Amino acid sequence: MNAIEVSHLVKQFGTLTALNDISFSVGEGETFGFLGPNGAGKTTTIRILTGISRPSSGTATIFGHDIENDTVAARQSMGIVSETSNVYDDLTGWQNMMFSAELYHVGRKEREKKSEELLTLFGLNERRNDLVHGFSKGMKRRLTLAMGLVNSPRLLFLDEPTSGLDVQSNLIIRDVVTDLVREGVTVFLTTHNIEEANVMCDRVAIINKGTIAAIDAPERLKKTIQSVQSIEFSFDHNAPDQLDELRRLPMANDARKAGDKFKIYTEDPSAVIDAMMAYARSHNLRVISITTLGPSLEDVFIRLTGLQRTGGAVHAID
Amino acid sequence: MPSIDYEGWTERLSREMSAAWAIARKDMRIYYLKPNIIVMGILFPLFMFLAFAIGKNAPPGTLIPGLIAITLLFSASSIEPVSIPIERRVKTFDRLLSAPISLHSLVFGESLSGFLYSLGIACLPLVVGVIVFSTPIVHALVLVIAMALTAFCFATLGTLFAAYPTENVGEVMSMLNTVRLPLIFISGVFIPISAMPQIGQAIAFFSPLTYGNDMIGYAYTGTSLFSPLLDILALLIFILIFQFVANRLYKKFNE
Repeated sequence: MNAIEVSHLVKQFGTLTALNDISFSVGEGETFGFLGPNGAGKTTTIRILTGISRPSSGTATIFGHDIENDTVAARQSMGIVSETSNVYDDLTGWQNMMFSAELYHVGRKEREKKSEELLTLFGLNERRNDLVHGFSKGMKRRLTLAMGLVNSPRLLFLDEPTSGLDVQSNLIIRDVVTDLVREGVTVFLTTHNIEEANVMCDRVAIINKGTIAAIDAPERLKKTIQSVQSIEFSFDHNAPDQLDELRRLPMANDARKAGDKFKIYTEDPSAVIDAMMAYARSHNLRVISITTLGPSLEDVFIRLTGLQRTGGAVHAID
Repeated sequence: MPSIDYEGWTERLSREMSAAWAIARKDMRIYYLKPNIIVMGILFPLFMFLAFAIGKNAPPGTLIPGLIAITLLFSASSIEPVSIPIERRVKTFDRLLSAPISLHSLVFGESLSGFLYSLGIACLPLVVGVIVFSTPIVHALVLVIAMALTAFCFATLGTLFAAYPTENVGEVMSMLNTVRLPLIFISGVFIPISAMPQIGQAIAFFSPLTYGNDMIGYAYTGTSLFSPLLDILALLIFILIFQFVANRLYKKFNE
């Protein structure tokens, strides 16, 4: 049985079609990434899958339970970690855990045991009796994740789990999610961090303007755009007009600067390497490093969502 | 004939009720002492009452039933219009909407906190009446039932208004006050219904406060406009209507 089965889902807000006939399934134990630019329909999809919103048409089931008609049973097996750390600031960490467990009908002994275990795992047990008001952003995020796991869910919705976090919280959360996946928990991940999806997900779906643009394993998606290759290199010193000059090299489709490195996109890496070396010689520059790169998941994302790079940034075409 | 799974239903009901109780307890911990709840739930009804009672040529003890009635109205209906918009803003309300509980339990749990708060606050004028003014209570049991039903009715009314999809407490309070304030003038709290013009008397039938106030008055004096049974029935009908409408609104506004 699939953990999630979405069939011909449509959601309209007046004349705006937020989701336009999307279908996909997520297998049990799979880590599934759901990527898309802002306003693409990610949040609407999650709200429908968690039973907060109702679809205009189509169906969604969670472990075989229809989310519209069998909502309570469908939700019982879920854990939800929303984008915002939606914890109660005026309650202690422990009270937050207890409240979340009570909402999910976890028995008293089980909820106390599980809460202690989770708070320890997330490095919060020493602060369990403090009001959450005094917690840092990372601590609140970790508490949100702990609350989402208190009912030992079979399916975990993770909405931007590590966005804007400190390194420590980031590492703890990623480790915990990796362990959950190893234990067979299905993870539905939405993130703006495409590299995070690339590393963590078995498959990703890219949604754009309410339509699924592609669903596949990250590596297979990258193969679909092999024409987008790049060369990353750095010189011993940089000048202000170098980027424009590099952009004009033969066979260079685009160039951008990231820190002390330049990245040139091309369909013919060897021709660009020759041109770049000639450019370096003519400008008395020494090449410090050079790497040829295949397409990244970000490249796939940009290609499929109709975004384009300009300089170092990404801009929407439409 | 299909058999009914009583055990399944009992278990489901027990789980729903314990989740509703958890929601109510959470509200009690977080919101009971918030300044705007204290102002709207305690000070507002007190000053409103004093504004109309001072100068009246009546012994203070006789004003206690009216004070209890408007305290119940304002305190019961003040918790959720504050808590729910705040929780929408900080996104904790999504936690409740996505929990494995029915919308009925969510509305019930939210109303429960307003109900308990209101009963606690309304005990203040009750105790003052007994201790300071020696106001006699003729039917104690009727008073308990009247206070409980009136409190729950207005707690549900507060939950209903809080369904309006805003993150701004002021917006909900403004809408609620356009209903709450007229209620105290048309429900026999300050002006007896029998002394009101015919149109006023007709409107009074549509106010839940009329029945709550009437029943509280009966508990204190032994006389009332309606039979206490009719008051109970009317309050139960209002509770059911408010619960039903609140459910529909929460469902509609979350689509």
